[in-house]
This record gives sequence, structure tokens and C-alpha cells, in this order.
Amino acid sequence: MTSQTQTAEAGTPPPPQAGDAAQGLNIVARSQGQLIRRRFFRHRGALVGMVLFFLVVLLAVSSIGWGPIPGWWDKDATTTGTVTNGGDPTLSVVPGFLGGGGVHLGEHPFGQDNTGRDYFALTMRGTQTSLLIAIIVGLVSTLVGTVVGAVAGYFRGRTESVLMRITDVVIAVPTLLLAGLIGVIVAGHGILLFALFLGLCLWTQIARLVRGEVLSLREKEFVEAARSVGTPARRIIFKHILPNTMGIIIVSATLAIASAVLTESALSFLSLGVQPPDTSLGRLITDYRTALSVRPWLFYWPGLFIVAIALSVNFIGDGLRDAFDPRQTRVRD
Amino acid sequence: MLVFIARRLFVSVWVFLVATVVVFFLATNIRDPLADARQLPDQARASKIAEITERMHLDDPALVRYFRWLGDLLTGNFGKDREGQKVNAALDHALSATLQLIIGATVIAIVVGITIGVISALRQYTALDQSVTFVAFVCFSLPLFWVGTLLKQFLALDFNDWLADPEISPLFIGGISLITGLGCGALVVGDRRTRWAVFGITTVAMVALLIALSASEWFADPGLGPIVIALTAVGGALGFTALVSGLEWKPPLQAALIAAALGVVASLALDPVLDDPQLITLLGLAVLTALICGAVGWFLGGELYRRSAIPAAVFTGLFTGAVIFTDRMFQSFADYSDSVGGRPISTIGAETPNYEGTFWETGLDSFGHLALPTLALVLISLATYTRYTRASMLEVMNQDFVRTARAKGLGERAVITRHVLRNGLIPITTLVAYDIGTIIGGAVVTEQVFGWSAMGSLLFKGIEEGDPMPIMAFFVVSGGAIVVFNTIADLAYAFLDPRIRLS
Amino acid sequence: MTSLTPPANTPTAPDVPTDASIIEAEEEVHAGRTLADSQPPSDEEILVVEDLTVEFPTDDGLVKAVRGVDYTLHAREVLGIVGESGSGKSVSSMAVMGLLPKNARVRGSIRYRGRDLLKLRPKEQRALRGRNIAMIFQDPMTSLNPVRSVGDQLSEAVLAHHLVPRKQAMARAKEMLDLVGIPQAERRLRAYPHEFSGGMRQRVMIAMAIINDPDVIIADEPTTALDVTVQAQILEKLLEVKDAVNAAIVLITHDLGVIAGMAHRTLVMYAGKPVEVGETDQVFYTPRMPYTAGLLGSIPSLEGERDGRLRPIAGTPPSLINLPSGCPFSPRCPLATDVCREREPELAEKGDDHLAACHHSDRLAEAEDATAFFRVPEEER
Repeated sequence: MTSQTQTAEAGTPPPPQAGDAAQGLNIVARSQGQLIRRRFFRHRGALVGMVLFFLVVLLAVSSIGWGPIPGWWDKDATTTGTVTNGGDPTLSVVPGFLGGGGVHLGEHPFGQDNTGRDYFALTMRGTQTSLLIAIIVGLVSTLVGTVVGAVAGYFRGRTESVLMRITDVVIAVPTLLLAGLIGVIVAGHGILLFALFLGLCLWTQIARLVRGEVLSLREKEFVEAARSVGTPARRIIFKHILPNTMGIIIVSATLAIASAVLTESALSFLSLGVQPPDTSLGRLITDYRTALSVRPWLFYWPGLFIVAIALSVNFIGDGLRDAFDPRQTRVRD
Repeated sequence: MLVFIARRLFVSVWVFLVATVVVFFLATNIRDPLADARQLPDQARASKIAEITERMHLDDPALVRYFRWLGDLLTGNFGKDREGQKVNAALDHALSATLQLIIGATVIAIVVGITIGVISALRQYTALDQSVTFVAFVCFSLPLFWVGTLLKQFLALDFNDWLADPEISPLFIGGISLITGLGCGALVVGDRRTRWAVFGITTVAMVALLIALSASEWFADPGLGPIVIALTAVGGALGFTALVSGLEWKPPLQAALIAAALGVVASLALDPVLDDPQLITLLGLAVLTALICGAVGWFLGGELYRRSAIPAAVFTGLFTGAVIFTDRMFQSFADYSDSVGGRPISTIGAETPNYEGTFWETGLDSFGHLALPTLALVLISLATYTRYTRASMLEVMNQDFVRTARAKGLGERAVITRHVLRNGLIPITTLVAYDIGTIIGGAVVTEQVFGWSAMGSLLFKGIEEGDPMPIMAFFVVSGGAIVVFNTIADLAYAFLDPRIRLS
Repeated sequence: MTSLTPPANTPTAPDVPTDASIIEAEEEVHAGRTLADSQPPSDEEILVVEDLTVEFPTDDGLVKAVRGVDYTLHAREVLGIVGESGSGKSVSSMAVMGLLPKNARVRGSIRYRGRDLLKLRPKEQRALRGRNIAMIFQDPMTSLNPVRSVGDQLSEAVLAHHLVPRKQAMARAKEMLDLVGIPQAERRLRAYPHEFSGGMRQRVMIAMAIINDPDVIIADEPTTALDVTVQAQILEKLLEVKDAVNAAIVLITHDLGVIAGMAHRTLVMYAGKPVEVGETDQVFYTPRMPYTAGLLGSIPSLEGERDGRLRPIAGTPPSLINLPSGCPFSPRCPLATDVCREREPELAEKGDDHLAACHHSDRLAEAEDATAFFRVPEEER
């Protein structure tokens, strides 16, 4: 809902058209892409979300490195050691002149666990895993959902009813049950496989959304025109229909990533998701949740990172939705 | 229409059956049910393995086991688990606990979420709207299990500690009052001066109230007393009348005030009945209240005002009843609190084991156990309803027929209630139904955090032991609920939106 | 309750075969009525708009949607307001209704029977809206609430202004449906908007507008969204109900063809200002503003007097945020000279009660065919 829509019924000027400049009229022509970008960047939440998300990714990847590439942080997530000062976090952000301990990271900024492992390194590893899983889940679920939705919406008839009944079956099984069972079955085969299967459980909403959009688009004149000159169905779907649903697909993909972070951490919390030796943010919380009264930082840090990721991605998604469709889309079959 | 319903039901049954097949085959493949038995010493091992194999029919192919399970299910039998215990018994217990949690949390989340969403939409782009949006986003992004644990740590433990010496710190008084004041100031319609006035008055009133409550140790032994009940009832009457018809018409206001008065008088007259009532008595009283108040509205409203006088009176009557109910709960609080060692907000389980007391005390016991899990669940699902309601309302508000309604000369309240709300809430009904799967998932996590033995434990027991029977019981209930609610949603949508009804 | 008594010339419900089909074909119920048949306007001024300006602050700058509109509406008169989209014709009428978005800045005065609507409190404004001044909107498909029955929505208009039992309001609604020529009105009260065709829905909108016996009906593009065959019926119906309730009509359209047989006087708007006002015939046959001439040239003509070719106006209306200096029409005007680009012409008397805002009215007056100034596009030659 932007302010334009409010005045649209009564007051907005006619839409600017290209070529007016030549006639001496002072109208700024804007392309669709420019409009979307402009609306996105005007969304303050989306901008803040974008910066926050970028910082989290940067911190997680650069600190402990990625795979064989080393990072700037000198400790790793597996080495145990002596617990100094009860494992208290050494991070300090209050400057000295305000009565704090000065701004510094210290030896163990996020503290240590009871075996002396550096909790900053652990949290960063958990963040990497959680982010990786979330992004794979987002991609897989969007891909499957888009294909199912587009095919069902375009071909209608038998294809549609079969695909939509399959969707209904997947919806009928609570996500937690389906993903949990699959999580247990693929446990021990690594996080990539787990992420792939989790993605295969979470595509139904996008499928319904895309189908609805395609159903209305296929009645539009430009699709009719393409069909009347004998364009093959595959080409119509990919060249004419899907580009026009790109907005809702991108928005859903973003929101899918946010909900994947939460789903993954919930599953890991229930020991149905990421299994040791891998770790994720949810896994860290469940591993250390009994420590809340003695070593609360072991509980806070991973939680804060989950919230930071989910919140920033949700804000980006909201900004994208405003940018692509100022009217707001909502889920309806 | 009938054909439509029949076809929809037929499809739903098939979808459900196919889903049971999928879940059954996943559930038979998660883990080796004999894993524990294989660890046993030699002599016990063979017999234990044979016993479990026999009981779970592990020699039969999965398909045969599925059809045996399905056959049993049709007779209402959920089978036996690995230990030979009937799943039905465990399910009964688990279901009632989970239902308590889900129903309470869902109802609260829907009512509060929709209300906030509507207000937020009506005050679009104000500070109130922006804060609501921001808080909704934060709630949307919170991991349930994390919040639950935090609530347990801080709300329950600290609140119980505080209750031993219920004195409110000045800082807290200031904070709460300021927030209340800001909230009321933002809600009020009017220019800057009215807003500041409302802000000032509510803040000061709140400070005074909290100081009084703190000084009298009210929180250790709360209660409302007849005067507060009467005042609240009258306030309710004014509020509901303002919502339903506006205060300028006499008959609806009179009906509502009479309903409030009747309620207060009845609370005194029914004192002996209310000492330790049965649930059924209270429900009966609620129905009676609605009927009597409806009659009052009918008579006082006359031909012209009936349509607003009846709802105003009925809502006021039920509201007064709720106030009296709360008061009774409060009155029992001190006794209950003593009987559980001064720690009324519980963090573990669904009830205090072997607790006995009056209706009000057992009620408080349930409340004490439900409070935190419900709060956690509400916090998470509230955001969804708020966001969708706001979006839906805004979309309707920009439509042409709302402009037509204004052009007719309808007042703003009529435009909102009769055109915007009615149209905007139709998609919300389906959202509520589609959301049931999320709520079930949330309930499972919440139960884990708060140590409830409910539906979630059934699921984890099955996964732990590689036993499909408890898992299938979990699925029949949860998946069944999802299918039923989705079907209801589709039918309800068709019923509420005449455009779909015909096609 | 006098205002709710049925109008004298309520036609009897036409005989219609009981038809099971939900959406019926449009039926021609009455013989065509023309402006000449309808009651003539009187001298009584009921709506006087003076120097009305409306501005909207937007992110791109201040949109000057209406830049000073004056007109007077007499009792029983039909005033046509013509202009392209964005010319301010709809915005100015929404200002009369008091239905502009909250962020609109309105100045000037709108006097209804001597009371300035812009100075009324919201409550007083609401009391006039729908009762004394009613409105018919462009798109009957979206202007009715899809989930409430037609009878419900019609009776609601009565109940908003009269303290009467619902039953009586429903009876009034049925009367109005009869009046606007909807067959089987009793049954149709219970139907939902989507069960009506476009033309039938617009009749419902007309019924809603006249249900409280208003003095002024503002019809904003009432036929634009309808099939051509239905348009004429709706316009005739409009003239008919005007006499039935003795109302004056402000007819807003972008289509000069609609105005032709419908309006006593016509006001042409461009870029938020009136550029030509006069008797409809004067405006049509002796336009004194090139824009009006251009509009006339873009109407397809069957008579062949202009060699049958369309002469569209080149270019698009100016941005209401950055208006060109001088006459806002000058960039598109074939007659434009330096003076046009420097100074915006005032609305001035160019004949008997005929006003136009143009530096070159004389050149138009001298020309035999005013539309000839506009060129026929290349490809049509």
C-alpha cells in the first residue's frame, strides 16, 4: 500500500509515456524495473533488513572461513580447551568513557561452552549451516512450487487436478511430521540432502500462489495472441507467463527462506533435523538449553542470530512485495 | 450447492487416504524398531526380537501392515505400540491436553490478531500502525522454542518470585503507565490536543491505579468487588453500543445498560450457585444471559432499533458475565497460590498432579499451566493474523464499493462494519483454516519446551522406537484436522462469498 | 417522510415473462426520451462552484489536479463536463461530494443552496451526501458490494438518512428498481450484484442515487464501462429519472458524443481548468478553444462533412506537477504562438454566454471547419 494507490482513484496524473520529452513536455519516463527498484529502496525496513542480512552473511563467512578457505578468526568450533572465567563472553561494546569495558572482542567474544570450545566459532558455524540450508530450501521449494503451479494453472483439466491433488496430499501432512520423518530417514547423509528434502516438503504454498496467478494470466490477451499464432505451450509458459509472475515468485522465495530458517531450527531443536557432527543454530539451542540458568549466553547467541536472519529476510521480502505489487498479494487458492 | 459439497467431501476423503499411505510408508522406514532389542544379552535377545516382530507383524510386507492398520482404524482402533500398549488410551490423554492448548491459543490469536490488524489498517501510516507492523515482523521471525524457554525463565520464575512480595517498582509503574498512555493516545481519534490530553489522563490514571494496587498488595489476593464490576459492566455497555450503533440513539444504549445492570444484580443473587459451580451450569447461565439480553434488546429496540439493540444488549450481557467470572477466579487466587507453594505460574506439564479443589481453583490450576505455552503460541501466530487482516482490510478499503457506501451518506462506522469488515474478513476465514497445520506444528514444539505429555510425545515416542502406530495416531488426528479445516474453509468461502456460491 | 413518497410518474412494472435465466438481456422498456422532452432548467442556482482548487502532495511533488473551476448549476439543468482523463473533471466532482482522499488540499467554495460545503462539519456533510447530492460512478461492476444483496445496499441508502423501519426502506428500494426499469424488482432485491449484467447494475446505481430524492445527481462517466448498445438506454434512463425526482445533473464524460443530446450547457476542462463554457450547441458548432475543436475532430463522424477522417490531437495531456509555462495546451496546439507559450489565457467572454480561454479564439471563429487545424495522421492519408 503506497500513497499512490490512495489517490489513484481521484487524483494521479496520467501515466508518463516515453517520447513525450521530444514534444517539449516535462515528463520523466520510467521503466518498470526502475519503478520497482525505486519502491524497494524507499522501503526503510527492507533497506535495514538488507544491510543486516549482508552483515550476518559477511560475519559468518569471513570469520571462520568457508571450507578450506581460512577466515580472520583464529579459533575453530571443535577444539576444546580450558574454561577461563566460567566461560563468560568477553565481548564488550560499551566504550570506556561511558563506564564500560571499552570496545573489544576479547579472547572469547561469545564465551565458551563447558568443554572450553569457543562459542563464537560455534555460532558462526551454526549460522553458516542454517543459512546454507535456508537458501537451498528456498531455491528448491520455489522451483518445485513454480513448476507445479505453472503447469497446473496452464494446462488445467486432468493435469491440473492430478497436480493439485498431490499438493493437497502434501498439505494434509503437517510440515513438522513430514519434514521430521524425512529428516530422520536422511539423518547421517549430510546437511545438503537434508536441505534438499526439506525443500521438497515446503513448496505447496508457492504452488497454489503461482497457479492462481497463472490461471488469471492465461486468460489475458497477450497469451491468447501467442496461442493463436501456434506458439508451443512450453514457450508460452516460460516466455510469456512466468516472466509476468516473477514478482510473486521472488517475493515467495524470499519469504520461503525466512520460514526455512525457522523450520530448520525447530526441527533441529526437536532433534529431527541437523545431526552431529554438523551443527546449526537450532541444534546449538537444543544442545545448550539446560545451560540457560548457568551459562545463559550459550542460549542467547544462536537465538539472536536466528531472529536476525529471519527478521532481515522478512523485511526484504516485505520490501520486495511492496515494490512488485503495491496492492499486496495474499495467499488464496 | 449440494453437489459441490459432496464432490468436495469425496476429494477430501481420497486426499486423506493417500496421505495416510505416504505417512505410513515413511513411518515404517525411519528407524529399526528392533535396534534396542539387538543390544540385549544373548538369551533375552532372541525372544525379545521374536516378541516385537510378532507384535508389530514385522514379517509381513508393509502393504499388508498398512491395510491391517486401516482396517483397525475404521473400527476406531489405533492399534498397539511396540510395548503392546493400546495407542487409543495414550491418544485420549494426549489429545485433550493438546486441544486445551490449541483451542485457547488459536481463539486468542484470532481475536486479538484480527482486532489489531483492523485497528492498524484504520490508522494506516500512523505511529501506531508502524509499531504494530514492526512488532508483528519481530514476532513473525521469532523461533517458538527460543521464546518459550525465555518466557519460562523470566515470566514464570521471576513472576512467581515477585508474587511473594508483590510490590511494583517505580520504574515498572512508570514504564507500564507510559506504554498504556501512548497506546490510548494513538488509538483515539482527534487532533493533536485531544491525543495529548488522552495520553496524559490515561498515564496519570494508570500510575495512580498501579500505586494503589501495589500498596494494597492486591496482586497477592486480587479481586474486583461489586463496585468495580458494576463500573466495568457500564463501561462495556457504552463501548459495545458505540461499536454497534453509536451512542446517539437511545434504545440500543438503554438495552445495553439494562443488560449490564441485570448482570450485576444476577451476580449478587447467584452468589451461592457461583461458589463452586459445574462447567455445565456456567454454560447454561451464559446461554440464559444471551437469551434474556436478546429479549431486552428486542423489546426496547422496537421496530426501528432492533437490529442494533439486540447485539448491543447480548454483547454487554456476556461481557458482564465474563467480568464476574474473572472476579471469581481472582477471589480464589490467594487460596490456590498457597496450595501450590506460592508458585501459581507453572512451567512444566498440563496440570498439577493429583490437584483437587473447587471449580475456580482447578480452573486457576489449568490457567497457571496454560498461561505460558498459550502465550508463546499466541505470540507466534498473532503476527500472521495481524498482517493478513491489515492487508485484506486495506485492499477492501481502496475498492470502489466503499466509495459508493460513503457517497450514500453512510457514517464512517457503518462503512467500516458493513462494507469493509464484512468483505475483508472473508479471506481471513480461509487463512485461519489453512493455518491449522502451522498451529499443530507450533503446539508440538511448545509441548516439548514446557514438558507436556501430549500429541507431540506420541510422535516422538514413535520416531524414537521406529514404531508407526503412535505416529499414525498423531497423523490421523493432525492430518485429519488439516483436511477437515481446509474443506470447511472452502465451503465457508463459498457460503460467505455469493460469487462463488453460484459457480 | 414526504421525501419518500413515490414520484408521480412511476411507470407500472412492465410485463416480463418469468425467466429462469439469471442474467437477462437488456430490455428496452421505455420509448426514447430526449433532452427536449425533459423539464427545462429554472433560474434557481442550486450548486455554485467558485475558484475551486484541489492539490495532492505526492512523493514526486504537488499534483495540481484542479486549478480554479467555476460553474453554476441551475435546478433541473444538465451540465456536461468534458475532458481527457487527468483533466480534473472527476476530482472536482469528488470535491463536491466531499469524498476526496484525506491528503487532498481543497480551496475555494462549493455552495449548495447557499451553504458552503467546504465549511461544513463532517457530520453535516455526510447528511447532505446521498440525500441532497447523489453520485453515480463509472464502473457498475466494482461500485456495488459483491457480498451483499442489491436490496440490502439500496435500503441502506434510505436508512442512512431516514428513521424508518427496514421493511419500508425495502419497499422504497423496490419502487426505485421499478422506476429504473428492472423487471421483477421484488425478486431482484434479494439478488447479488454479480447476477446482474453491466447495464442492469448501472440501473441499480441510478436507483441508489435517486432513492432519497436528491436535488443534484453527479454522474461520473456513467456509460464509459458499458456496451455501446446499452449506453443510450442508460442515458435516456438518466433523463427520465431526472424528471421523476426533479434533480439537476452534472454529467462528467470524456466523450463529446455522450454530451450531445444530453446536456443543456457544457464545460470543457483541460489540465485542471475550464477552457470553454457555453450552451452545448455553441460549444459544438462554434468552438472557441482549439482543444474543444480537437476533441470534436476526434469523434468519428458518419455525416462525411469532414471527409470522414479522424483528426486526433497529437501528444498527451501535460504533467500536473510540472505544467508547461503559458497555456497548458500550447505544446499540442496547432495554433500556438509565442504568446501562448508565455501567458496562460483567462476564461473570457467570446459570445453570448460563451466563454473560452484562448488567445486565438478569433482564428477559430474565422475558420470554416475548426477541426481542420488538426492534421490527419500520416498513415491515413
